[in-house]
Amino acid sequence: MKDIDTVGIEEERREPMRRVAHREAFWGYIFLLPTAIGFVIFVLGPMLGAMGISTLKWDLLSPPKFAGTGNFAALVKDARLGLILRNTVLFVIADVLLNMLLGIALALLLRGKIPRVVGYFARLAFFFPVIVSVSSAAAIWIFFLQKDLGILNYYLHLIGLPRIPWLGSSRWALRSVVLFDVWKNVGFYAMVFLAGLHNIPPQLTEAAIVDGANERQLLRHVTLPLLTPSIFFSVVIALINGFQVFAQSQILTRGGPGDASRTVVMYIYEQGFRYFQMGYASSVAVMLFVVMAGLTLLQFRASERWVFYQ
Amino acid sequence: MAYRAGRVLFYFFLFLIMALMVAPFLWMFSVSVGRPSEVFVVPPHWIPSVVQFGSYLRVLRELPFLSWFLNSFKIASLVTVGQLFTCSTAAYAFARLRFPGRNTLFLILLSALMIPLQVTIIPIFIIMRVLNLLDTHLALILPPLVSAFGVFLLRQFFLTIPRELEDAAVMDGAAPPLIFWKIILPLSGGALATLAVLTYNFFWNDYFSPLIFINSPAKMTLPLGVGIMAGRYVEAGGMGADATGIVAAVSMSIVPVLLIFLFAQRYLIESITMTGLKT
Repeated sequence: MKDIDTVGIEEERREPMRRVAHREAFWGYIFLLPTAIGFVIFVLGPMLGAMGISTLKWDLLSPPKFAGTGNFAALVKDARLGLILRNTVLFVIADVLLNMLLGIALALLLRGKIPRVVGYFARLAFFFPVIVSVSSAAAIWIFFLQKDLGILNYYLHLIGLPRIPWLGSSRWALRSVVLFDVWKNVGFYAMVFLAGLHNIPPQLTEAAIVDGANERQLLRHVTLPLLTPSIFFSVVIALINGFQVFAQSQILTRGGPGDASRTVVMYIYEQGFRYFQMGYASSVAVMLFVVMAGLTLLQFRASERWVFYQ
Repeated sequence: MAYRAGRVLFYFFLFLIMALMVAPFLWMFSVSVGRPSEVFVVPPHWIPSVVQFGSYLRVLRELPFLSWFLNSFKIASLVTVGQLFTCSTAAYAFARLRFPGRNTLFLILLSALMIPLQVTIIPIFIIMRVLNLLDTHLALILPPLVSAFGVFLLRQFFLTIPRELEDAAVMDGAAPPLIFWKIILPLSGGALATLAVLTYNFFWNDYFSPLIFINSPAKMTLPLGVGIMAGRYVEAGGMGADATGIVAAVSMSIVPVLLIFLFAQRYLIESITMTGLKT
């Protein structure tokens, strides 16, 4: 025990403070413990595990064989994967573009003066597809998209357009998935943009109108620039969700015909859980992760150029 | 005059889009109570000519529908409660407690937000296999008990709670657990409810994880059961006999969501879109 004569006044004062700090740190770690444990077991560990497994050839029944970069070399040469990647990228581009454009359009539509009741039902209608499960909604859409007896083609036929083989043709299968996904999610983005529109100070719009701006100029120089934070957020989310598209295509088209509407996650699922090529499936998953992480980082970088915060 | 025309056009488009959004569901309800032969009748009957619940009864009899429903309920509830616990405690630590490495750990946690489930699912599958937990509900409940998103959401909220409240308690000698329980949590009703709503909805609708971990029909969740039914229909070439059965099953799976939506509508929409603005 320290003799009180040899301890300086400064240290005397610091002792109780250190004790308080220690106590706080102790509680900090305790409070963090549940999440930390779960995180290590189910996120960090598996992340490293996936990278490790992607260097193996393993079907879970026989012992794993080391393959080094073999899986990644096979990735590059995989013709099916090339088509699947192309499908996924096309899907993402179409999905994000349509969601953004229609979402903004819908938000602008809803922004005006609407009687309360109408607004209530409009929000209900737009948001309901969002919260329903993908599998339930897709199950219904299967009926809608039938070529000969489906309702969509019935109405197309009524207005003189040809009946489209939505789910059966390689040309239209992916488009069907896009159509479904946009229908399902555009309400969400519309609400995000609507909230963003409400954040635009009315003084700015009024000032612009006083200066003689017409509708189009208003949109281009006031509304849209001030909406960029919402657009940025929506694009990031839409991209992440787009690359992970699975249930939509799995249920609507099974990836068919052939591989025409197969997506990367479907391929991971197929390789990992149908053919039990754990190593290869992991390598595809790691590739997906790298692509998505890279894209997200790029977007954050680029956002400094085009996103305008008030 | 132009104003009138503008209004008419506006309402026309608004109602058209609203109709497109709900059309599939209206058709679904209508067909589910109709005759099996009328599923593909043309022109489509938006209002059913007969109302009979035979398809519903058939589905309930032939499929473990009630089990699916209870399974979804059980899993979504347990995961939601679990996440509320783990995320609030971790968020409190990050928001208000000081300890070495806090910022680094937080950044690591945030980076986890970018890790897609598909990367970690294979190792998790192997873990579950080793633990003999395949085809059990635990495999679906344990991994999502922690959520980087939930921690992030709650931390941002906790940061907005005025420090004076806690300082007063600290001066009275309160330790962090007491502060957490008596001060922070009671003030966080909104944020906790937001997280709960988002989490519950997500896990109720989850298709991917149940597909991977569950094989026995009785243990399946609602989306999985419905999805498999629909998938079989597609495989049969779209002309299988039990079209009304599928439609009835989907109707039943949607009704709970519809009810909750009607009651909590404003809250649900606001919480989902608010997360966008706050983050």
